[in-house]
Amino acid sequence: MTEKKEYEKPLPEFRPETKPYWDACKRHEFVLPRSRTTSEFFFYPRAISPGEDMSEDIEWIKASGKAKVWTYAIHHMGPTKAYKGEPPYVVALVETEEGVKMMTNIVDCDPKDVYIGMDVEVVFDDVTPEVALPKFRPIQK
Amino acid sequence: MASTIPGIDDAHEALKKHKIVIAGVGETDQGKIPDKSSFHFLSEASKIAIGDAGINKSDVDGLVTAFSLVEHTFMHCTTFADYFGLRPKFFSSVAIGGATAVWMVAEAAMAIASGQAEVVLCVRGDNTLSGISSSGMVALIREMCHAEFEFPYGLTTPGGYALAAQRYFHDYGAKQEHLAAVAVTMRKHAAMKENAMNKEPLTIEDVVNSRIIAEPLRKYDCSIISDGGAAFIVTTEKRAKALGIQKPLVYLWGMGQGYSHQYLTTLKDLNQIYNAIGSSGQKAFQTAGIGPKDVDVAFLYDCFTITVLLELEGLGFVPRGEGGPFALEGRMEIGKDLPVNTHGGLLSQAHLGAMHHVVEATTQLRGEAGPRQVKDAEVALVHGNGGIVSAHSTVVLGREPLS
Repeated sequence: MTEKKEYEKPLPEFRPETKPYWDACKRHEFVLPRSRTTSEFFFYPRAISPGEDMSEDIEWIKASGKAKVWTYAIHHMGPTKAYKGEPPYVVALVETEEGVKMMTNIVDCDPKDVYIGMDVEVVFDDVTPEVALPKFRPIQK
Repeated sequence: MASTIPGIDDAHEALKKHKIVIAGVGETDQGKIPDKSSFHFLSEASKIAIGDAGINKSDVDGLVTAFSLVEHTFMHCTTFADYFGLRPKFFSSVAIGGATAVWMVAEAAMAIASGQAEVVLCVRGDNTLSGISSSGMVALIREMCHAEFEFPYGLTTPGGYALAAQRYFHDYGAKQEHLAAVAVTMRKHAAMKENAMNKEPLTIEDVVNSRIIAEPLRKYDCSIISDGGAAFIVTTEKRAKALGIQKPLVYLWGMGQGYSHQYLTTLKDLNQIYNAIGSSGQKAFQTAGIGPKDVDVAFLYDCFTITVLLELEGLGFVPRGEGGPFALEGRMEIGKDLPVNTHGGLLSQAHLGAMHHVVEATTQLRGEAGPRQVKDAEVALVHGNGGIVSAHSTVVLGREPLS
């Protein structure tokens, strides 16, 4: 962990309405936004619920961190130079137990072993002192 | 299907009354052309289309452009009006990714029907292959996907379509060969198109053994990048006759849009994509008063092979999940059940959104497609897809006025 190279891959730029999410990630807590009016989860975080209620009353709920792979794509080329020379990596859409989808990487396994429906759990990757990216790994049976 | 879309009867009557037509088309050379700028291509394509219609530049009183991936402008349409020396009464820039070109036809039609202009030049051109920087390519995917919640995971444009393809494989049991067949058919057609970039024969084996980009998509599942321009002129039958236009006119029969999502994160399932494609198509079909079986030649947005299968199915040409076998049996080839992208499409001719799809649809209905001519082509459909199968637009065109 010492000699860690500077992180050059794309980083999220926080908005006021998304900062609570990233702050929680930094604490290694996985939270999801929910409308207090309808108790419906949504993702990605927005200032106003995207539902019919258009609620500004958003609460952050600690999520289970468990999800299933909905689809995935093994990337052999990355979007920026920072990915050059990297082994293939898995970009996936997972569906959390709370019923929202999110994009992530499936880590801690051979990309070839990933399948649709695979049970995965959140794991935080502290890519910079400010940013922890939630990623998912297979749940050990 | 019963006419259930609100306003569809009025739309049919409006298009029947105005008799909107495509009266001129133009394509520049396509390929690697490093000595021409984006605005050079726009001008050259416009000049060719004006010449094809046989009108004067001063007859053009409306302008619809799109955007450039190379030369970023604050107001693209008026920037081009200035460069080309036009003083349009109506001007608009359409920017809905791959759904743009198809919707330019509709944008022009709506402007004409509401009395804003009579002769609308629709044009797109770009030196994408020669002029785009690597940071420009990065900006493209960063702006298409969610910069905060998707891009940090290393999503690429092919990767976005690979996510859709992988789920499609899972839900419908499709295989690589099904996608590959789309690329093979496009290449066969491109071999007959004079300005196509890639004409060498391609086999299923070539495609499935080509370099992996984002599994399950490989090199030949991905469209090409090119330099070039294309344009078309939209007017009314009445104005075209008054201007003495000699070229066969191609009539607008119907148009529609369909929205699914912008970010894949908010996609519920593949049905959401099918429904967006379907509602775009249904609006166009029902306005035209026809169905998929009436279409003689189809132009389906083929930025990646997977989109052609989703569109074939979503538009109702084949049942869901049956696009792959349809492609593999060669039924999209000229002379077969439903010729698709007779010019070679984005996979083999050139990539300028669906501009060439609109131009080729017009060429087919005029009966001017030479070796690629679909016999007795009377009705064409053009479908565009913007984002990652996100935003859809469809037009139906006819050789005769809408009745």
